[in-house]
Order: sequence, then structure tokens, then C-alpha cells
Amino acid sequence: MNTTRQMHSWGRIRPVTADVASPAWPDQISLHETNNLAFGLGRSYGDSCLLDGGHMIETRFLDRILSFDTTTGLLRAEGGISLDAILRFAVPKGWFLPTTPGTRQVTLGGAIANDVHGKNHHQAGCFGNHVPCFELLRSDGSRHTCPEGSELHAATIGGLGLTGLITWAELQLVPIHSALLDVELVRFNGLDEFLELSKDSAESWEHTVAWIDCLASGRSLGRGIYIRGNWSKFGDLEPHKTGGASIPLDFPDFALNRFSIHAFNTAYYHRFLGKTNELRQHYSPFFHPLDSVQGWSRIYGKRGFYQYQCVTPFEAGPEPMNEMLQRIAKSGQGSFLAVLKTFGDVPSPGMLSFPSPGITLALDFANQGASTLKLFDELDAVVRQAQGRFYPAKDARMSRADFERSFPRLDAFRPHVDPGFTSDFWNRMNS
Amino acid sequence: MSTERYHAAVFGATSAIAIETMRALAAERPAHFLLMGRNHDRLETIANDLRQRGAECDVATVDLLNPDEDWKQRLDGTRWDLFYIAHGSLPDQAETLADRHAIGREIDINFISPARIMSVCASILEDQQQGTLAVIGSVAGDRGRQSNYLYGSTKAALATFTGGMRHQFAGTPTVKVVLLKPGMTDTPMAADLPKGPLFSSAEKVGHLAWRAIRKGKAVAYLPSWWWVIMNIIRHLPRLIFHKTSL
Repeated sequence: MNTTRQMHSWGRIRPVTADVASPAWPDQISLHETNNLAFGLGRSYGDSCLLDGGHMIETRFLDRILSFDTTTGLLRAEGGISLDAILRFAVPKGWFLPTTPGTRQVTLGGAIANDVHGKNHHQAGCFGNHVPCFELLRSDGSRHTCPEGSELHAATIGGLGLTGLITWAELQLVPIHSALLDVELVRFNGLDEFLELSKDSAESWEHTVAWIDCLASGRSLGRGIYIRGNWSKFGDLEPHKTGGASIPLDFPDFALNRFSIHAFNTAYYHRFLGKTNELRQHYSPFFHPLDSVQGWSRIYGKRGFYQYQCVTPFEAGPEPMNEMLQRIAKSGQGSFLAVLKTFGDVPSPGMLSFPSPGITLALDFANQGASTLKLFDELDAVVRQAQGRFYPAKDARMSRADFERSFPRLDAFRPHVDPGFTSDFWNRMNS
Repeated sequence: MSTERYHAAVFGATSAIAIETMRALAAERPAHFLLMGRNHDRLETIANDLRQRGAECDVATVDLLNPDEDWKQRLDGTRWDLFYIAHGSLPDQAETLADRHAIGREIDINFISPARIMSVCASILEDQQQGTLAVIGSVAGDRGRQSNYLYGSTKAALATFTGGMRHQFAGTPTVKVVLLKPGMTDTPMAADLPKGPLFSSAEKVGHLAWRAIRKGKAVAYLPSWWWVIMNIIRHLPRLIFHKTSL
């Protein structure tokens, strides 16, 4: 059952060696006195899902559906079930996730522990807003049922797996008539236009996000494509297909460089001729475009990659984002996966929930060592100045001070940490 | 799509591939499963999951390794569409070979017990003159390799046994005997193996297994590209083969 194995997070930067248990049945879950951490599908980018030398408990085989109410859409399932599996179960019945991150390949427990968000954040809030109850297994062997409103519920949502292991959870699904969305793509040039589009779309569009060309500079700075969608009335309830292409090996380091990325971005920006483009799209390419290529992170090669995600409050205006984009463009680093979105003001119950009203920017950076880290230091300073915050699920290098500044409820959170649980991220934030 | 309920008796129903096969089946048509295995709680856990997916489930706690265990009566009164034999064990080879009792146990789990069950199911299919008998073999049975020849030889024996039974039913095209040959699959049984690019998810393998069962294929590699790999391995000249660490 237990083996010593090398474990990666999604960024593949620093693999760790841990004692890994892979329980397949509820009666096989056993925790040690100290140094436990649950591990779902490893889609956290940095070190929040890793524990070097610790006891990691893989949860992905704990994937049973415990109950489903076909009239209310309330699902109860084991914590290791993937959002992918939930969708294949629920879509044919006319139900969908209340909100979904950019990949289906995360577990229910992981989605709660990172309080993930999606394109409908401005209307639906975070994942944790739709989790009425769950059970937590603590290292002392006790089991806690945590209903909405309880302290442990609030600590566990966005709690980075530090409050214990989520054995099962309830999720309130939402009804859909079709698996398709009516989508509109609108080109924009600059942050001001982006903010205007966001304001105009907030009420009438359930799902909004923008792709931004992070290598464009000068007059093209901040150009991108605004993507907005609503569930369609047309089409049937066909779930996504499984499988697809996969990238089983690391790409060589030269595959991604500023020229290949710049070429991609320019082509992507000019992919349609007019100012706007309308289409009807299945939810899979709309919400989870990268899931069609399994293991896509390996295009970044052996050295892995960083993701950088921050949010700056609306009050700070577009200036901080403009400055960050300028610095990124100047550095020549950054990739085709640059995402811009506005968060709404639906509060999450989570004490360490990341989203807060403002503009969020997320992008990938191939790991080029010192030059990449230096760029991050510059970006950090801009975010700090704007009183923004950083996202632990994406992080492999934020400073302790920035973490503490990002989460004002950290002191309320600390007493709920299970003394038998920790992670490399948490150790880094407390050393 | 058929609306008539599909009746399947599953031996070793806690197998990850069996579970995924049943989930794929239940997603496609109304199903009734008789889940058989040793651990009652685990069988109930699966039964509950399958019920949420629209299937009817019965559970029978039986020791399939015990030749005197009477599970046949549990099959009475139903016209079965499928007998699915899924139990197996992937042992640590060096440890097992060093233990004279363990060798027999592995052969028992992977070959003797399935063969015994298949014989009983075959007689029922003979009476029904219709239905499918599916058994989980392995690509490991295709050529003895230093890394897993104990496991491989039990699966090779099972493949030969299955082939013979298929021959026996050659005159009854309404009875199908299906040998499923998964390659490396990401299941709890293989949790401690390092995961390379050749690994498939249990979900995918289960999905393909159901497709092969539905079509009544004689032999199905899961996924099908394992047929290519195993053909190469089977035909490697010994001189070259012995230089590999397969």
C-alpha cells in the first residue's frame, strides 16, 4: 500500500520524495501522527500539494458517488472524485458544476481545499460557495461533519489541505438545458477597453474571461480577446469525451521561446477578422480547453514552469495591470496562456480564499531560473503597491510577508490547522 | 439503445477495472449487477455508487478461492447477459517466488479460481444458449519476461483456457467468450509502480472493456495499441530480448 515515490506538482519544478499511500477504500485511509498531506490529481502548480519526506495520501481512488438528488441537484461524493467524473455523471441528467476551474482534472477535495474559481465568479462566487457540508478526517482519528457556517467549514475552504483530509463532500449542482454555450469573442485593445467590456458583460453574461497577449508592447500593449458565454437553449446533454491527445514526455527546452510564443499570440489575436465573433461551443473547449491535451505542462520541458496569479483591487484601477504587462513584455518572458478576469463581490466562506473584488491576471512562465524570479520580484512590488494578493495554489515562491498580507484572516485560520498536517508551502510560510 | 435490463454477475467486483466497466455499462443502459467478492463493506460501497448511476445491485459475500463455497445458487432464477470474472493479484515476484506457499496462492487467485468459475458459468451459458463470458487476462501473458513471469504465466494459462472454451462454443454464435487484456493500468493494484507514458487510466480501460464485451470480441487489448507493442515483444529474437530489462 505504501511506497516511497517521487511526486510532482503541475509546474514540475521541484519534485519531492514522499511516503505515498494510495487507499482505494474508506477503511484503508490511515493517517500518521505527523506530516500528513492529502494529494488529489496534482494540479496545484507549486508546492502547496507537496510534502517532501512526509506521508502523502493519494485520494484519487476514493471516487465513489454516495448520493444524488435528481430533483435538487445535491451531490454527495468521496473527496477523490474528479470534476471530470462528476460532469460525465451529471451532464446527461441536466446538471453542471456550480463553477469550474480551467481544468476538470482536479478532485472534489482539491477544489474545496483551494477554493477554486471559474469564469462565472462575478455571479456565482467560488467553489466553496456551493459546498453545503463535508466530512473531515483529522490526524487524531476524529471525524468532523462540517456544515456551512461552522468554523472548520470556513477554515477548510481554501485551507490548502491543512485542516485534515476531506473524506466526502456535498456539492450543489446547477441545472442546464444543453451542454452547449452561446459564446461571443470580442477583441480589445488595452486595459480600459477590457474593464469596459467587463462592466457591460457582468450582468448579462454568466461566464466571462479574457485572453491577453502578454508579449505585445507599445501601441498593442494589453491587446486581447474578451470571451463571454451563456448556457445555450439549443443542443443536447452530451458530456465531454474522455481521452484525447497526450504529451507523455518533456519537450526540449528550446521548443518554447519568445519567437514561437510571439508567433502564436499574434496568430491567436488575429484569428477572426471583425471586432466580434459569435459561436456556439460545447462546454469542454469553452471551460477546459487544455484538457484535450493530457499532460500539457510537459511542453515546458524538464525545468518545469511557474504560474503567476495575482489580483489587484478595482480601486487601484488598470494602472497596476498595465505596469505588470509592460514589465512582462519587456522581459520577453511569459506565454500564450495569459488570462485576465474580473472577480465579483460574492464573498466566499473560506478564511484563506484567494478571490477578492478586482482584476486577476494569471500566466505561465517557463522556468528560466534567476531571470524569471527577478521578473516575479518586480511584479510582486507592483501588486504590493496596489494592495493586491497572491494565489497559493499557483505559487512556488511567494514571500512569507506577501502571504500574510494577502490573507487578513490568517490568524483566525491558524488554530484550525491539524497539527498532524502540513505541506511544503505551509512550511515555507512558517519558517 | 436497449431498454431491457442487462444482467451481469461480476466475480471479484472490487477490481478497479471491473468497477469502471460497470460504471460504463450503467451509463449506457439499464443494468442489474450481482456483485461478488470477499469484503462485504467494499461490495456495498460499490453497489451504492452504481445505484446512484441507475443500476440495480445485489451483493453476495463469497470466498471465490474456496472450491466448496456455494455461490452457484445465487445465480439461479436470472437469465444472465454477462458473467464477468475480474479478480486477480499482481504480486511482488521476488518475494512470492521465495515463499513456496505464496506461489500456489498466486496461481490459485489468477488461474485456478477463475477457471473453476468459468466452468460453472459455461454450463449455465450452455443451458441459456446465449450470453457473454468475459475474463480479465493481461498483456503480461503474451511472453514470459523476467520482471513478472509468475503473474504472466498465470494469465497465459487463463488465456489458453479461455481460448479453449471459445472453441467449445464455436458452434453457438450467441455465446461469446471474451478475453480482455489490459496493459499497464493506473489502479490501486499498481499504485506502487512508477507511472510511465504507457499507463492508461482504469476509467479508460473499463470503458474499452465494456465496448469489447458489448461487441463480443474474442480477444481485446486495452487500449488496442498494446496489440502492436506485444506483437513486437513476442517476436523479438531471443538474443535481443535477453538484452532488455522488460
